[in-house]
Amino acid sequence: MPKRRDILAIVLIVLPWTLLITVWHQSAIAPLLAIHKDDGVEGKREAGGQAQDSKEYCASDKDIVEVVRTEYVYTRPPPWSDVLPTIHIITPTYSRPVQKAELTRLANTFLHVANLHWILVEDSQRRTPLVTRLLRETGLNYTHLNVETPRNYKLRGDTRDPRIPRGTMQRNLALRWLRETFNANSSQAGIVYFADDDNTYSLELFEEMRSTLKVSVWPVAFVGGLRYESPKVNAAGKVYGWKTVFDPHRPFAIDMAGFAINLRLILFKPQAYFKLRGVKGGYQESSLLRELVTLSDLEPKASNCTKILVWHTRTEKPVLVNEGKKGFTDPNVEI
Amino acid sequence: MATRMRLKLKTVFVLYFMVSLMGLIYALMQLGQRCDCTEHDMPKDRIISRLRGELHSLQEQTRKLEATKQPEKNPAAPFLPTIFVITPTYARLVQKAELTRLMQTFLHVPQLHWIVVEDSPRKTALVTDLLKKSGLVYTHLHFLTAKDRKLQEGDPSWLKPRGVEQRNEGLRWLREDRRAPPGEDGQQGVVYFADDDNTYSVQLFTEMRNTQRVSVWPVGLVGGMKYERPVVEGGKVVRFHTGWRPSRPFPMDMAGFAVSLRLVLTNPEACFDGEAPMGFLESSFLKGLVTMDELEPKADDCTKVLVWHTRTEKPKMKREDALQAQGLGSDPAVEV
Repeated sequence: MPKRRDILAIVLIVLPWTLLITVWHQSAIAPLLAIHKDDGVEGKREAGGQAQDSKEYCASDKDIVEVVRTEYVYTRPPPWSDVLPTIHIITPTYSRPVQKAELTRLANTFLHVANLHWILVEDSQRRTPLVTRLLRETGLNYTHLNVETPRNYKLRGDTRDPRIPRGTMQRNLALRWLRETFNANSSQAGIVYFADDDNTYSLELFEEMRSTLKVSVWPVAFVGGLRYESPKVNAAGKVYGWKTVFDPHRPFAIDMAGFAINLRLILFKPQAYFKLRGVKGGYQESSLLRELVTLSDLEPKASNCTKILVWHTRTEKPVLVNEGKKGFTDPNVEI
Repeated sequence: MATRMRLKLKTVFVLYFMVSLMGLIYALMQLGQRCDCTEHDMPKDRIISRLRGELHSLQEQTRKLEATKQPEKNPAAPFLPTIFVITPTYARLVQKAELTRLMQTFLHVPQLHWIVVEDSPRKTALVTDLLKKSGLVYTHLHFLTAKDRKLQEGDPSWLKPRGVEQRNEGLRWLREDRRAPPGEDGQQGVVYFADDDNTYSVQLFTEMRNTQRVSVWPVGLVGGMKYERPVVEGGKVVRFHTGWRPSRPFPMDMAGFAVSLRLVLTNPEACFDGEAPMGFLESSFLKGLVTMDELEPKADDCTKVLVWHTRTEKPKMKREDALQAQGLGSDPAVEV
């Protein structure tokens, strides 16, 4: 009988300990196992959905796949970060019926990009209320400039000087503004990109260009009469030529949307501007880039220039036949 | 032996007491923390997304503390009716670009469900990948237009109506998926037909969200004019300001109206008539649903343009075609 009591006593001692240890063991070890498996398998999630939270991927017995988003999406730009280089986007624009539409969808794109500074330069005598109001309502970080390309009064009608390619004076003004605003010695990291208001930009593009040291390049779709034009990249990851049909022997056979420049380089070479006059068609980009870099300095992005992240779309000029001579619609309604 | 026993029992009790005390303390400590016992069940990308979401909300909070005066939208938003956007699309050079910038606009609209219907015999990889990476709530459908209904190369764009079968397919899916249980009123929601080359402001979706039957607004750059719009007097639509055939029952563009989900579900026969004469496509759908005085005018009594009927130029491919003829065309594996 004492033996049984002994046993009882021993059981009473051991039981709670074992219970405790098993419970503790389970809750401690299993998450460690899970994390260990996760380590290094993290897929590259796109930068495109910064506040999104994918919940379920309904693997399909259904033909239709739904991705349920749980997080709220903001309509303001992402919070400013102290570590990301600022992307200064220079966009020349001019008044025409589709201007507000183009700038609206451009703004919708830019609102997804962190640390973006939009420099919008109007080709006009003074800043128009349409653009002023639009910029203010977007909530983007912006600078609004304007300079008018001189008209060629000798020609009939109100045409601009045909010897100056469109947008040149505006881009140069933005470059000058950057040089006046930013000190060459300051540590402000920045990237300069020329974005025309009718192109289409993917969000990955801006993340690719953020790591530019001097000048980075990538392919552009729908330019030069091709599906896309792109730099030629050799096995060592260096640019050695241009895959274009139209004059591939230009110093930089690339479209305005196909490169980005580090701000430091712009400030370091304050004489570099786009050439205003006497520029052959297609040589505008070269007129600036040849003062900044050589071919071997170029950094290829977009997976060694194999992915298309920007499209040189053009918007049709809307047919306004029914407006007639006097204008059918109320001119006070802004389009 | 008896004393030893008693001693042993006493120690047993003491030990028992100590153990339960420790257990209690442990449990109390656990109470203070969040129970993450389900974490090892979640797939890894859920963890990543959740962490990213937490990171973002923390960033938002710090931004708030930095004395911003912008009004905050409550993250746990009160119930918002879902906007179902039906977009017909078809493969052509600019398709990926158009869908990309459309997606970038839609990402700003909460509670939006994008229904993309491809004019194709099967789902293409381009659209599938784009939708998967978009982060939007979406449904991917496809419906091939019959050959005789399809525009051929060189046809002017007004010759045959486009997107009819695809929009009807979107409606069919909606009616099947959101079918209300018998006796119930049906879910709240709005249905909008958004072509993939137009331009939409985010404000537009705010305006259409509380549509009760059919709401209308101006559309820019359409009908050969700067904009077309319904004319509103006394809060009701009395006529339409359009430059082309104003005698149509509903002389509006596809982008100029939205229909409440309830109306779509309770009228299962209402769809777009591909045989309707040019310009009557919208009317063929709406005339069974609503009368003109039931229309709800939005956008400040239809005085603001929040959507533009932009069209994208077909890119010139002269050099590409020339190269292709020589067998030197660009790498088709690179998706454009």
